[in-house]
Amino acid sequence: MIKNYFLRHAQVFFYTLGQLTRTPVATFLTVAVIGITLALPAGLYVAIENVQRLARGWEDNGQISLFLKQDVPGSSIEKLAEKIRRLPAVSWVDYVSRDAALAEFKRLSGFGEALNALDRNPLPALLVVHPAAAYSHPDKLQTLLKDLRRYNEVDLAQLDLDWVRRLHAMLELARQGVLILAAGLAVAVLLIVGNTIRLAVLNRRDEIEITKLIGGTNAFIRRPFLYAGTLQGLLGALLAWLLLALGLLLLSGPVDNLAGLYGSRFEAENLGFLATLTLIGSGGLLGWLGSRLAVGRHLRAIEPR
Amino acid sequence: MIQFTHVFKRYPGGFDALRNVNLQIQAGEMVFITGHSGAGKSTLLKLITAIERPTRGDAVVNGKNLLRLPRRRIPYFRREIGVVFQDHKLLFDRTVFDNVALPLIVTGADPHDIPRRVRAALEMVGLLSKEKMYPITLSGGEQQRVGIARAVVNKPPLLLADEPTGNIDSKLSDEILDLFLDFHHHGVTVLIATHDGHLINRARQRVIELKQAELVSDSGAAA
Ligand SMILES: Nc1ncnc2c1ncn2[C@@H]1O[C@H](COP(=O)(O)OP(=O)(O)OP(=O)(O)O)[C@@H](O)[C@H]1O
Ligand SMILES: [Mg+2]
Repeated sequence: MIKNYFLRHAQVFFYTLGQLTRTPVATFLTVAVIGITLALPAGLYVAIENVQRLARGWEDNGQISLFLKQDVPGSSIEKLAEKIRRLPAVSWVDYVSRDAALAEFKRLSGFGEALNALDRNPLPALLVVHPAAAYSHPDKLQTLLKDLRRYNEVDLAQLDLDWVRRLHAMLELARQGVLILAAGLAVAVLLIVGNTIRLAVLNRRDEIEITKLIGGTNAFIRRPFLYAGTLQGLLGALLAWLLLALGLLLLSGPVDNLAGLYGSRFEAENLGFLATLTLIGSGGLLGWLGSRLAVGRHLRAIEPR
Repeated sequence: MIQFTHVFKRYPGGFDALRNVNLQIQAGEMVFITGHSGAGKSTLLKLITAIERPTRGDAVVNGKNLLRLPRRRIPYFRREIGVVFQDHKLLFDRTVFDNVALPLIVTGADPHDIPRRVRAALEMVGLLSKEKMYPITLSGGEQQRVGIARAVVNKPPLLLADEPTGNIDSKLSDEILDLFLDFHHHGVTVLIATHDGHLINRARQRVIELKQAELVSDSGAAA
């Protein structure tokens, strides 16, 4: 009994597959539209994930840069560094002298020759203050920042975390945007599948009518259409994934170059395992739901006469 | 098997297709329904197969009251009735074999039994050699016989036919009548709507006549 049940479902599955391959252009068009529609939010999601992953690397060095005034002598700097080092909110302090700053700038920027032409070092000395872990909360960092600004030697105090934080807020916003977009496009997929199935139902009007006449239940008549919708949804999701992979492949060169410029070995990643499952699952589910809604409505209209 | 008491059928638009029809058909009977065009023969068959619902009256088929039969039970109700349609209603994108197999697939018959049962039905109507052909390549009489094979493949206790010899020559219609007589002799209840007098005379079975939506004569059960 159970075996027959599965056998029957397998038969419907292959029958449906056959039907889909018999109209390859129509099937391809539907799958392509679903694929592109799903690729849009999925692509944005991938972009956000990657930027966020990139930003996580910077988050750890939550640090305050103190740019000192040009005329502060080295000995006072040492003293200041020592003072700051003893603050309870501070874990350690790095001192980057003006010469060291210039050397590093030359190394990183590639402007070495040009800088040699300058008759004096334009860069300020820098104290990089690393806050203690217990003081990493934004409010406490803000207090520390205010305290550090009060030193006379300090020209400019800058909390490097600010923009990371802003970036995160923006990413969060973008994430919400993607959700809303995804919801809208999910409705679009429902409509696409619904319309395809509607046409399929109308095309097979006679077959449906005859099946009803010889005692086919609605569930029996629905089954191939549900399979068709689900299959097209799944194939669309698969196509979306391939489109993303292709996009990332095309972008990998430029991303490599860019990362190289920043001395990083960042590599853009495609959807993770769970996100891929979610994409494929959503495709299938939307396909099923779209065909279920369409077939339910149109089946009722086809009664034998 | 079939019991109509004071059955009325009024189509939307107000046309009375059946008026106060009283009718009893026992299991195993063979009955012809005759009458001029528009008398309501097809309507009567449509009521019996739950394609249309009676407007008024008690219509009981196979123990089910057609007025109260829930929509979702209709498919199961129809599986007990084999119907031969005047316009065959075959699927033209499937082979003869697949057309005849459809009722078995619909009812979830054991897939291993299907080929044997389909071929048995095709054998009965003499079309075994054409199982792989498409209906479009068959003659009208052959298509009609495919329709008969499909109607009986499930071995339903009740067989209905609407103008089964509508547009085929007399030799062929004799053959088809013989088929129905054969089913009747095997205990199947057979109901045929036709205005083919030759057919009715040859069969010598019970005849019911409809005239302008009313049942005007009933020859009673044949001896
Ligand atoms: N769906 C419908 N809506 C309205 N009127 C209908 C409908 N079906 C049939 N009728 C009318 O009911 C009457 C009986 O029709 P029916 O098809 O039962 O006649 P019949 O005896 O089978 O005729 P024929 O021998 O021509 O097939 C006809 O006058 C027809 O116009
Ligand atoms: Mg008729």
